[in-house]
Amino acid sequence: MSVSELTLLVLRLGFLLVLWLFIFGIVYALRSDLFGQRARKMQADVAAPAGAPVAFPSPVTLPPAAAASAPTEQFAARPSPAFTDVDDKATTQNATRLVITSGPKAGTEFPLTGDSITIGRSGDSSLVIRDDYTSTHHARLMLWHDKWMIQDLDSTNGTFLDGKRMAVPTPVPLNTTVKIGATSFELRR
Amino acid sequence: MPASSNRSTTTDAPARPSRVRRLHLPQKLRNLELFLLLIACGINAASVVLVQLGALGRIDTTLVLLGAGLSALVLAMHVVLRFVAREADPFILPIATLLNGLGIAMIYRIDLANEETGLASASVRQTMWSALAIGCAIAVLLIIRNHRVLFRYTYIAGFVGVALLLLPLVPGLGREVSGARVWIGIGSFATFQPGEIAKIALAVFFAGYLVRNRDSLSMVGKKFLWMRFPRLRDLGPILVVWALSMSVIIFQRDLGTALLYFGLFLVMLYLATGRLSWVLLGMSLFLGGAIVASQTLDYVNGRFMNWLDALNPDVYTADGGSYQLVQGLFGLAKGGLVGTGLGQGRPEITPVPQSDYIIASLGEELGLAGIFAILALYLLLVARGFRIGFAGNDDFGKLLGVGLSFVIALQCFIVIGGVTRVIPLTGLTTPFLAAGGSSLVANWIIVALLLRLSDTVRNQPRLVV
Repeated sequence: MSVSELTLLVLRLGFLLVLWLFIFGIVYALRSDLFGQRARKMQADVAAPAGAPVAFPSPVTLPPAAAASAPTEQFAARPSPAFTDVDDKATTQNATRLVITSGPKAGTEFPLTGDSITIGRSGDSSLVIRDDYTSTHHARLMLWHDKWMIQDLDSTNGTFLDGKRMAVPTPVPLNTTVKIGATSFELRR
Repeated sequence: MPASSNRSTTTDAPARPSRVRRLHLPQKLRNLELFLLLIACGINAASVVLVQLGALGRIDTTLVLLGAGLSALVLAMHVVLRFVAREADPFILPIATLLNGLGIAMIYRIDLANEETGLASASVRQTMWSALAIGCAIAVLLIIRNHRVLFRYTYIAGFVGVALLLLPLVPGLGREVSGARVWIGIGSFATFQPGEIAKIALAVFFAGYLVRNRDSLSMVGKKFLWMRFPRLRDLGPILVVWALSMSVIIFQRDLGTALLYFGLFLVMLYLATGRLSWVLLGMSLFLGGAIVASQTLDYVNGRFMNWLDALNPDVYTADGGSYQLVQGLFGLAKGGLVGTGLGQGRPEITPVPQSDYIIASLGEELGLAGIFAILALYLLLVARGFRIGFAGNDDFGKLLGVGLSFVIALQCFIVIGGVTRVIPLTGLTTPFLAAGGSSLVANWIIVALLLRLSDTVRNQPRLVV
């Protein structure tokens, strides 16, 4: 089998092209590292335009529709009427930080990245809580279809979402207290 | 009342879940790595096929088989990462794989030109060394589960590093290859360059030593001009390392290795103390030593002459003259912008085209575009290492991450700079590309350590309550 000059020329130029595509692929995957994180959209921008992403339910349209279909269930499921935007599940778009609301380090906060957060007494957790009521691997906050979910990892004293002990992985609403041991925290904008 | 997660459930409240429901989280980083790895393996296979088409005009199955061997090995390493370091950086492994594969393709191309086949050919040996090196990397990942373990062995690492460095001087064990005594060999077959492994041991030692002692090196000293200079008695460590690298120049007759170790120490010292005066001091020490060496040592003087006056016909034709260097430059010039095409150039005219001069060979056949792609791959690899060091929380990890990746960067600069006549040529291997087992083993171990570091960095606590 012999190959013509032209085929070889095309092949070798194609090879260089693929080599560079590989490099640009890596650079594209690294873009947030190289050029910094993309600036978040302001709240006003997101609510206004019609082209807003579907994953970001507007608080104006959702409650009437939900109330019309099943008002009683909606009330039963509503965790706490004290907060205004409590219906919003925390997603990657609307939750930016984790704030400790009670406990020894009340008031501290750290930003949420895309990574899941493990909570427990062990040193390899992302959020280490050292008190007598926390298990070694107590719970974890993770992203499930872009929604923040909390999962209790079979802890001894339990994880409480808005005062209720939770059994299965549950989506965390914004501004809702999650209590672990003597520490509570919320996910906020 | 310390709570433990595996206590009996009967004493607890009834609301307690009887069983934890498992959610299987996708390993996003590992999936990205797998995707890039498959592309890298594809490019490697394509390069071998192009070499065969260009040099033989047909596709032969011998080395396609060996290329599949490399792919299988890196995929095995990927699977290991899925279990023992799932948060590790996803770019390091594909980049290292691609560089290694391109190197094997180029070495195979030179084997074809020299008509070497079977076990005698460098490409088959290179593939076998790659297998060993990736095996070592997997072993490092499995054994070292946390890089801070290495901190305990700081001084042992230092001792091992110096011992490995001095091993070629042991009579009967050391081998001299083209003037430099940096090899060891048992009998006639197995030769190894222990200095390559020594650079890892020394990086561990420097990191541990500087974390322990940096206060005395960074806090005190007299201010002179705009910089704070260290006290005379704190100059001990830098003088010891300087003496060590000078002895490498004198006794092992290897300029590149000496520059590599001294540069590594200097960068880590700067990183640990943040003082520019150390860098100035170290560079003037090394430059002074190098100038004295070029005046007194014949081989160093020859290297300088070849560098400064390479195209002079007298130097070109002289024994040990600039023939090799200039042949490499001719090859690069022949390559031009897009190269002659894999398998279609004549890189075998240059002496040792598969090890020291592999960059010139690749430049001839892939052209400027190909060389820049390779340099970009190195740049990305080193940048990932720096990023890992930057993100680390513990000082030892920071220093180790930056030190290990800087070694790769400096080695690239010394070799590629030497071949392209930016600096005097010194014999070092191009990381991952050049034929040479010890270099491959050392660089794959560096890859494993960087992967381990990046995994630990991502798993660090963000807040302790």
